[in-house]
Amino acid sequence: MLMPKKVKHRKQQRGRMKGNAKGATEVSYGQYGIQALEPGWITARQIEAARIAMTRYIKRGGKVWINVFPDKPITQKPAETRMGSGKGNPERWVAVVRPGRIMFELSYPDDEVARGALNRAIQKLPIKARIVTREETY
Amino acid sequence: MSEVTLTAEAGRETGSGPSRRLREEDRVPAVVYGGGQPATTITIDRADLRRAMTTEAGRNAIVSLQITGGETCTALVREIQRHPVRRTVLHVDFLKVDMSKPVDIEVPIVLTGEAKAVTTNGGITEQRINTVRLRVSPSAIPVAVEVDISDMALDRSILVQDLVLPEGAITLSKPRQAVVTAELTRAALTAARGGGDDEAAAEG
Repeated sequence: MLMPKKVKHRKQQRGRMKGNAKGATEVSYGQYGIQALEPGWITARQIEAARIAMTRYIKRGGKVWINVFPDKPITQKPAETRMGSGKGNPERWVAVVRPGRIMFELSYPDDEVARGALNRAIQKLPIKARIVTREETY
Repeated sequence: MSEVTLTAEAGRETGSGPSRRLREEDRVPAVVYGGGQPATTITIDRADLRRAMTTEAGRNAIVSLQITGGETCTALVREIQRHPVRRTVLHVDFLKVDMSKPVDIEVPIVLTGEAKAVTTNGGITEQRINTVRLRVSPSAIPVAVEVDISDMALDRSILVQDLVLPEGAITLSKPRQAVVTAELTRAALTAARGGGDDEAAAEG
């Protein structure tokens, strides 16, 4: 799973996810992309699940790009612990995604198969997303 | 290349508030610059802009801008800003062009044919760049640069220097930059080495 090799600070505050994505809003590498329509945290597990769903469906002959990286540590207190005694332990890594962000890109020669693969990947994500193509329909 | 005509109004109020109100009225704020003259802020009707940008020439159409209360000039669309989610046009930059001088422009690359020698041997063709930057006369801007990949073989590339450009056009992209490459898929590589099942290899 994706995670940073090292970080400056082990724990982070939660932050806010106001507004739309400021960059990575266009399909840059492949022919198709998955665009986020809601803000949210995408965990490393979800990214990996989406990638596997996509690559299993296309079998071979395509290429996948992952445009998000889970670099935000999320802490959690152990179950049945009393409140207090400081912040919990880092448990998982998430990528912060805002609406408009192209999270995955795919290059595949067959349109139907490519859309099928992307739909399966979207099912693995916790937010609403849609398929976008490189060709800009004006 | 055909020329499309757009009617624009000059003298709009600048800033995010007035621009937002213009967009609500289905008008797109825009700016015209170039030719050594100061930039002019204009507005265009959204439907007119759509019609102008959906010709065969696409975004590289030569636009004859008729600015009410101002001059008429020939221009090219230099940049289109879009809303990240809704994809509606927020703002357009027009660059004035002198029809006698060459302009720098991005032209899409379109692959034609099927690389059978690659696909039958477990390979895949990959388009590395989707546009090429050209310096060309405004009257000779191509709709697209076509690349025939039917003769491609495995482990071969078509470079920018191999592109067939229209007469008088020169490329500003790096000549040794790959446009299309043909290589074995990871699954085919693993199968050739005789290790792992196909699905695991495809899963990568």
